Amino acid sequence: MSWINKGTTGLILKLSPLMLPYLVLFCGGVFLTVCQSAGIFTPLPHAGRALDAYGLILSDPSFFASFGFSLGVALISAAGSVIAGTFLAYRVWQLPAKLANAALVYKIPLILPHISVAFVVLIFWSQSGILASLAHQLGLIQAMHQFPNVLYSGWGLGMILAYTLKGTPFAMLLVMALLVRFDVRQIQTAAMLGASGLRIFFTIVMPRLAPALHSSFIILFLYSFGAFDIPFVLSESRPGMLSIHVYNLYFKHDLARRPEAMAILTIMFCFAVIFIIAYTKIVTRLENTVRKL
Amino acid sequence: MDLEVCRVSKGYKNKAVLADISFDVGPRELVSIVGPSGVGKTTLLKIIAGLETPDKGQVMFSCPLNRKHPVIIVFQDYVLFPSMTVKDNVGFGLKARHLKKKQIIEQVNQMLAYFQLTGQADQYPAQLSAGQKQRVAIARAMIVNPAVLLLDEPFANLDRNLKMETARFIRTTQQAFGIPTVSVTHDLEEAFAMSDRIGVLLDTRLQQFDTPRKVYFNSASRAVARFLGPVNQIPKKWFSLFKINPGQADLTAGETVPARPENLILTDNPNGPGRITQKTFAGHYTVYTVTIENRTCTVYSQDDRFFTGQQVALTLKPY
Repeated sequence: MSWINKGTTGLILKLSPLMLPYLVLFCGGVFLTVCQSAGIFTPLPHAGRALDAYGLILSDPSFFASFGFSLGVALISAAGSVIAGTFLAYRVWQLPAKLANAALVYKIPLILPHISVAFVVLIFWSQSGILASLAHQLGLIQAMHQFPNVLYSGWGLGMILAYTLKGTPFAMLLVMALLVRFDVRQIQTAAMLGASGLRIFFTIVMPRLAPALHSSFIILFLYSFGAFDIPFVLSESRPGMLSIHVYNLYFKHDLARRPEAMAILTIMFCFAVIFIIAYTKIVTRLENTVRKL
Repeated sequence: MDLEVCRVSKGYKNKAVLADISFDVGPRELVSIVGPSGVGKTTLLKIIAGLETPDKGQVMFSCPLNRKHPVIIVFQDYVLFPSMTVKDNVGFGLKARHLKKKQIIEQVNQMLAYFQLTGQADQYPAQLSAGQKQRVAIARAMIVNPAVLLLDEPFANLDRNLKMETARFIRTTQQAFGIPTVSVTHDLEEAFAMSDRIGVLLDTRLQQFDTPRKVYFNSASRAVARFLGPVNQIPKKWFSLFKINPGQADLTAGETVPARPENLILTDNPNGPGRITQKTFAGHYTVYTVTIENRTCTVYSQDDRFFTGQQVALTLKPY
């Protein structure tokens, strides 16, 4: 028994360079957030009860509007990225070797910061942007306001575009990692048996890509749900993204409202955890057979 | 449906893999192409299947191929669809043809029963033995009534004691379904057991294409004979010792007659011309090395009573 303890201690010591920052920064950060949401360790003494901030947040209709809006933007952009990434990766994988090498250009958006992608979308899609200018040059529109207000239509299309642009190459990367190990003879066999391209894709290829699709969807969804950079450039005020809501509460309001900002962050964190657990359970149940392999 | 491979050549990076390959497969015929590993057997199969294009020559089918009657290749490692059960694998081709569900279930059940896979219907490929996987792969191909069935190294992943049983099973199945079949393998015994005709692929060329018996006992060249198993060369001056009638001797390979070890009969004879110099037990037979003058002959015999140093006589059993 003693050697197990010794081994465990040794393992913890070896992992400590990684675990210490995690414990201090992540766990410490979560702990402090939860505390401040309850009025503990706040800059100003908290006069009310511990769950007052949660009461205020949950009774505010604008919070639910923001929550639903953030959820919609995150779901659509993550799903769009995964669908586009999977389709493009499959097509790139089918290209001859020389062309497939050239197609590595898809990785470029991966190295761009999110804020840059937000500006790319802004520059292209705003009513004074490149596409609007092009439409004007082609005689399709006569004035700036005639170009569709894509970015600020109230549907979060600008953010969805930016997140999809940024997320698609990420999904492609994960899918390509599985495709390079995929046995092409499975496709040949299915084709010989008379299957169409669509049937081959959905019944033979997709089940093998499922792990990458689920991983990329969870990562992209949770990032889009809580990120601040793209909404800061492209979001609208009503309804706003939750991250912007938190920012406003934290920096643009009285210090006394800090517990409310922290309560929103705590709710977002809890939602992320519940989402991952629920998603994984559903996927495990649906694909129990595949995972057995 | 039958097929004809006509003067097919294929090379990679200026290196010839197949040169001027021609043979035909009749309806209901099972043909095996044998050759050492890496000689281009699988490439030939892929060319027949249309998965690779020959540099020269062509593969002709008596009826044009279509989606309903395709050429199907069963790969060496079977390539079952891992996320599908056995019954889904077998029924895949029927679903692709948009058959009614009831019809698919009926045909799949019949096929599973024929291939003795009913108990494994709901299992996944990862849960099957190599033999079961192979039967699933063949059942999956047979259910769509292919124009031609191609088998790539069908015995490569099987245990030794399962190979001959599988060869017989393939033969029986092929005859039952009446589908022309081409198999490429380096398992000679199994190829002999199941094939109507055999082609020997050596040094990029099809050296001989004939019935198993003719290929084995009347090999077209020493290289073919050696590839198919040990062979003794009996010189003309020994014909009387081996009781060979010179008028009936096949001297096409030179001034010697080829003799398979199992066709030489040993007899105890203190004045015999040969002396046993080595004796090796090989299970269901014994290998004797007999020295005559300065040359040696290999003899396979069921008789284990001979001993090293014994004087013996040798006779060539007519084929």
